[in-house]
Amino acid sequence: MTFYVIRRVAVGVFLLFLMSAMFFTLTRITPGQPVSVGENPRVHQEQVNRRLHRLGLTDEQGKPYSIPQQYVLYMGALAHGDLGDSYLYNVSVTTLLKQRLPNTALLLGTALMIALLIGIPLGIYAATHQYSKVDMTTSITSYIGVSIPSFVLGIYLLLIFAVFLKQSPLHWGFPLFGMHSGGVDDPLDLLYHMVLPVTSLTILEIAIFSRFMRASMLEVLHQDYIRTARAKGLAADKVNYKHALRNAILPIITLVALAIPQIVNGAIITEGIFSWPGTGQLAFQAVVDRDYPVILGVVMLVAALTVVFNLIADLTYAVADPRIRY
Amino acid sequence: MAQVPPMPIGPSAGVPGSVPNQLSIETTIDQERDLQQPGVKADELREAPEMGFWRLAVIRFLHHRVATGALLILGVIVLAAIVVPVITGDLYRIQDYRHPFKPPFQSFQHLLGTDDLGRDELARLLRGARVSIMVGALAMVGYLVIGGGLGALAGYYGGWLDNALMRFTDIIISMPFLLVVIAVTAATGGVRLSTVIIVIAATGWYEIGRLMRAQFLVLREQEFVQAARALGASNTRIIFRHILPNALAPIIVSATLGVSGIILLEAALGFLGYSIPPPEPSWGNMLNQFEDYLLQNQAYLVIFPATALVITALSINLIGDGIRDALDPRQR
Repeated sequence: MTFYVIRRVAVGVFLLFLMSAMFFTLTRITPGQPVSVGENPRVHQEQVNRRLHRLGLTDEQGKPYSIPQQYVLYMGALAHGDLGDSYLYNVSVTTLLKQRLPNTALLLGTALMIALLIGIPLGIYAATHQYSKVDMTTSITSYIGVSIPSFVLGIYLLLIFAVFLKQSPLHWGFPLFGMHSGGVDDPLDLLYHMVLPVTSLTILEIAIFSRFMRASMLEVLHQDYIRTARAKGLAADKVNYKHALRNAILPIITLVALAIPQIVNGAIITEGIFSWPGTGQLAFQAVVDRDYPVILGVVMLVAALTVVFNLIADLTYAVADPRIRY
Repeated sequence: MAQVPPMPIGPSAGVPGSVPNQLSIETTIDQERDLQQPGVKADELREAPEMGFWRLAVIRFLHHRVATGALLILGVIVLAAIVVPVITGDLYRIQDYRHPFKPPFQSFQHLLGTDDLGRDELARLLRGARVSIMVGALAMVGYLVIGGGLGALAGYYGGWLDNALMRFTDIIISMPFLLVVIAVTAATGGVRLSTVIIVIAATGWYEIGRLMRAQFLVLREQEFVQAARALGASNTRIIFRHILPNALAPIIVSATLGVSGIILLEAALGFLGYSIPPPEPSWGNMLNQFEDYLLQNQAYLVIFPATALVITALSINLIGDGIRDALDPRQR
């Protein structure tokens, strides 16, 4: 087990290195410079040089570093928790990420909790009442949910609840744009702005979770030991919720842990659409502005999250299911 | 029920105790017809073996009403996307500044209205369908060539290739795909559709690859493969003639479902402005300015491309599920 953990961590670190090298090269061979004199004649060449040096692109004399040199510098700084400076905002990427991360965590955490609280019971009910009305409705809805891309769902929600609802006699709807400056200090306003993005994320997640839970539960319900338990005359509820559920819920652990990086990834578009000031929107905006250090920072964050959650998924699975040995 | 003694069917039926010999199918049928089984019509017996696996699958698929309906819808979309833009020509980019935001279903000239620059929305939608279908098809060919090829080799030969395939999958899964495309687009200097197709194909093939690998791992241990090997068949022959036809069914299902995934990805990229550059329309980049359209109260410009996208993706998924049911009736 210890050996397994060490090996997994080593592989994870290796993956991070590989990906950082790839992305770093890609962003650095991109034509164009973050600072140039031509755009503003009043900026002195010396100032430009100083700025380029600060961004880790040239040395003190203004001689440009080669890409491998830049990469070594970048990784050296990363070891101290420094992801470099944004080209656009005059702050470090770490500061930007720290500002945005709580908002993303709030949005994604809420959506994930709601999705789990609805999706899993729904999946269980659908499986124990196979071919019932609830099962059919769940299946069809989640089928459509999986076929709608997150940005289309977001746009539909805005269309219905931020545009049509406001034009209706109600004259009330949800806001078209993200958080107000009050932020976390104004809980009611925050909630009001959270409704649409959370709904958009939740619908997709419920679709995924309920489908998976249903399939997992059905598989367990068809196993021999369940039939034995039923044959012994155990109450249906006891068989379903005590014998079957315990085994059926195990794969969900992996699914959730694996879904988290995907959700962070998908949040890039959802946050962009709803102008939610999180890391996703930061990346969305960085893409529009071609602010490469920020893109690189978000990539590293997502990659690290994925590696960590993959590991957590495997380990919790091993703890939860004694049949699994490494 | 009449008392009918159980009658063995098959080549050995006539001669008891004989070793099953190399009878051709025709002989078998003739013998069975001679036996005149009660309750079984001779016609049925003759037809049953003639229907191959694929023909049966097609029949099963056509009995699946939802899937057939989805196939019809997709057929109409594909046909319209191929034929109509040929007739309408440049209509999709002809701007008419006197008539922007013409509402839909008002005039026959612009059936679905015009967009912010007075371009015909229907012509743009159909032109955009071409982009989606082309990207979906080409990237899937890429998946099948790269993923199918490497997966087959990894599954058949194992070893370092197998390991490399698995590690590659790990890397791809932990990569934020959208940002990869954006970085590559920026590094190769400009937004191009070919970049999108290549990047999607280069990063998305792993699912087909893993599936193919799993199929080959199972099939290569089967007895018919061992028999082929014992008879002296070369590896190439075993891979292409013996294993591949048997591995195909799940690959076809996965490939069909994969196409809808690719189309949605392309649309997401177009939405971010990283797919085909304007004035060429795609369903994704038609949604690019959705905020302006919503604020200006032109909701139809948002509804049309979004709905076209959902209908296409949904029908492809339904077709994929139909194919799955048709190819593997046990797995319902």
